[in-house]
Amino acid sequence: MTNESTIGSPMGTPPLLSIEGMIKDFPGNRALDNVSLQVGSGEVVAVVGHNGSGKSTLVKILAGVYTSDGGTVELSSQDGFDTELHIIHQDLGLANELTGIENLGITHYHGASSFAPFDRKKERAKARELIGRFGEPFDVDIPISKLAPAQRSIIGIARALDGWQHPRNVLILDEPTEALHATEVRVLFDAVKKLAADGAGVIFISHRLDEVLDLADRVVVLRDGRKVADEPRSDLDHDRLVSYVTGIPVGEAEHGENARRAGEVVLDIKGLTGEILEGVDLQVRSGEVVGVAGVLGSGREALPAMIYGSIDADVESFTLDGRPYLKRSPRESIRRGTAFVPGDRAKFGSVRPMTARENVTLPELKSLTGAGGAISLKREREHAQTLMQEYDVKPPRAEQVFAQFSGGNQQKIVFAKWLRNRPSLLLLEEPTQGVDIGAKQAIYDAIDRAASTGAAVLVCSSEAKELVRLCDRVLVLRDGRIAAELAGDELTETQLVIEGYGLKSEDEL
Amino acid sequence: MKKTEAIQTVDPAVADRGPAKKNGVLAALSFRNISAIYIFVVLFAIFAIITPRTFLTPGTWLVLLDAQSITVLAAIAVLIPLVNGVFNLAIGAEVGFAVILVAVLQTKLNMPWGLAIAVAILIGAFIGLVSGLIITKGKIDSFIATLGMSSILLAGLAFLSENRQIIGLQDGFRLFATGGLPLVPDNPNFKLTNPVFIMLIVAFIVWYLLERTPVGRRMYAAGYNPDGARLSGVNVARLQIASLVAGGIIAALAGVLLASRINAGDPTVGPGLLLPALTAVFLGSTQFKGGRFNVWGTVISVYVLAVGIKGLQLLGAQNWVSDLFNGVALLAAVGLSRWERTAKRGSAIKRATPKFGRGK
Repeated sequence: MTNESTIGSPMGTPPLLSIEGMIKDFPGNRALDNVSLQVGSGEVVAVVGHNGSGKSTLVKILAGVYTSDGGTVELSSQDGFDTELHIIHQDLGLANELTGIENLGITHYHGASSFAPFDRKKERAKARELIGRFGEPFDVDIPISKLAPAQRSIIGIARALDGWQHPRNVLILDEPTEALHATEVRVLFDAVKKLAADGAGVIFISHRLDEVLDLADRVVVLRDGRKVADEPRSDLDHDRLVSYVTGIPVGEAEHGENARRAGEVVLDIKGLTGEILEGVDLQVRSGEVVGVAGVLGSGREALPAMIYGSIDADVESFTLDGRPYLKRSPRESIRRGTAFVPGDRAKFGSVRPMTARENVTLPELKSLTGAGGAISLKREREHAQTLMQEYDVKPPRAEQVFAQFSGGNQQKIVFAKWLRNRPSLLLLEEPTQGVDIGAKQAIYDAIDRAASTGAAVLVCSSEAKELVRLCDRVLVLRDGRIAAELAGDELTETQLVIEGYGLKSEDEL
Repeated sequence: MKKTEAIQTVDPAVADRGPAKKNGVLAALSFRNISAIYIFVVLFAIFAIITPRTFLTPGTWLVLLDAQSITVLAAIAVLIPLVNGVFNLAIGAEVGFAVILVAVLQTKLNMPWGLAIAVAILIGAFIGLVSGLIITKGKIDSFIATLGMSSILLAGLAFLSENRQIIGLQDGFRLFATGGLPLVPDNPNFKLTNPVFIMLIVAFIVWYLLERTPVGRRMYAAGYNPDGARLSGVNVARLQIASLVAGGIIAALAGVLLASRINAGDPTVGPGLLLPALTAVFLGSTQFKGGRFNVWGTVISVYVLAVGIKGLQLLGAQNWVSDLFNGVALLAAVGLSRWERTAKRGSAIKRATPKFGRGK
């Protein structure tokens, strides 16, 4: 399955950017293992793979955020043109309160000219011209927060392109479509194609396979830090790409070997409405793992937080363990035996400057208090230390500050924090985001264990593979409604992708 | 799926890496952990050598201990909200307001002094409550909210006092702050005064609450990461309000003690406490608990700063030296705690530019 052969740039000229044997090690995990990649002039190369496959590590090395542990990066300087790298990160790095003109930073001020007045007319004309290269011009005088997401992306691209002395540079787009709707993706793709036609090399990082097949001339697949495929688009179809990304041969679907028996209904929601969700019905039984899939913007992200009570939502009826529970709050949810592992570990899942011990015990300290309402530090330490061993946290030091653990071990601590009191309902959002593969397995095991001991589990994930591995059945959200429910033989990665995008058949990919 | 085994095996050298447990005593005595105590010793030695006559007398020390106990109370009133992530810049005005209030209640309303103290403290709690509601319900940043509150209180203070000293307080009231436990029989000047005891009691209670109870744990969590704490079931807004109420009570107590000590309602004495209090809290956060705001670090820091100023004054420095000293110390303390935090994170993420080569 491995295909290490590299393909030269299509025009027979040396590549603009050439990466050779890139290696990056994180503690306990090799994020990039001998990855090589070339981009030629006029070529759009897509780099695809699951979360944790090494895509973002590669971009971060190129951007200078990480230093590599081996390998070289070469930029061409043919015909006196020094190729430059321009990177557009997922968040674009724009200032939302400033106008399009200001974000484009058209005039480059140096020294005394910093104090000269703007030439507004000239700036506006230049801004129009810059964005005009990518289709219909739009208002550049309003704060960009008022623009459509695709228009903001265009500002980001136009800014990266402004000041190019020649077209033969390399543009790297890191998950640029994450916040875009389907029509806006078209606008962005047209812009990228134009750019390549002018002679630029483009690296397009994505985990959306249909977009990749739409845009790319060549596709590089990363899996677990290794390059497993580097093939022209023409040689690929959807099934083959899926099998490269997942590592499962075409036609063979992977199923979780979970044959748990579902018990009583723990969570029963009717008509949940809020943000983009509209009238979602949901039931989770004890011992059952229910997945929620859907592309970004389908409403998947807000669902667990709405059930938990940290985001407001309207419901027709909501029962937890057979009792109505309409006025929800995190505190009350915890009291009723609900646990929530949020997707954003740093912002919502932990208190980073506090120790692992202080983090795991935070939701429930009562059982650790003794006389006078004081926490028994001795009991707390012992309890935390036991949890560190039980969840295989490395290093198993409960007194270490949370932020100093690696991503995977941080997530193990978060799981220990929520599973220590045996919740009856476990809400999970992207449970293995930014987690190395070893820790991933440990977390899957912990989820399986929780379910087999009677917890009702709801997993919201953008990783189809993960949902297939973990879940008994998966609800697919599309535009705020449940579009499909997949279980048994229907529950495959391909089917999840098809339902997630609302594709009728694979011809449309 | 066949490749996963190779990646799952974690290099034992990497997994078990990390500093072996340091000698606990050495770590506790390291300069980084208790730098203020070392600075204290150095300052003490310097001033003892230069001005032994005045600096080394027990009188100097007892006066310092007594006078600064009120600064400690003000600092603790800043500390509690700060643990919750809330700045209280109104602390000086809160103390000053209580100074005037307790005097006005006695002189103009002829209230018995015990009742006057109780009312002043109650109003202090109310001021904290209002600040807390403005910050949590009104969603106004604590920095701005307490700055505004400070200005309002200063106006109220000027209105009540008509910018004059209020004298003629009750005799019993004066003893509230000046009474104490004599150390030497027959010499009333050598004693541990009531404010010192009150300060120690308050410090102990606050230490207990912050470091030993679930409430304190939740307060630290709320201060470090309000969103994360909320999702862990912490009622962040309620804790922030409570912290400002507690701060208001302690600030009022400090104001009452101050009025009793000077035996007058002086409108000028309270506002000056903001800077030393804030400085001590930040300097205190670099002590004992490695970057965490804490009570005993704050207490020690108040006295270290006071000793430095006292020594300089004994050397003949002008009064403005205390402002200078506090200002420099505040910048140094915040810089130090920032440095501590970044240095601790160590090399979790290495930031550097990759080496780019050029092709032919």
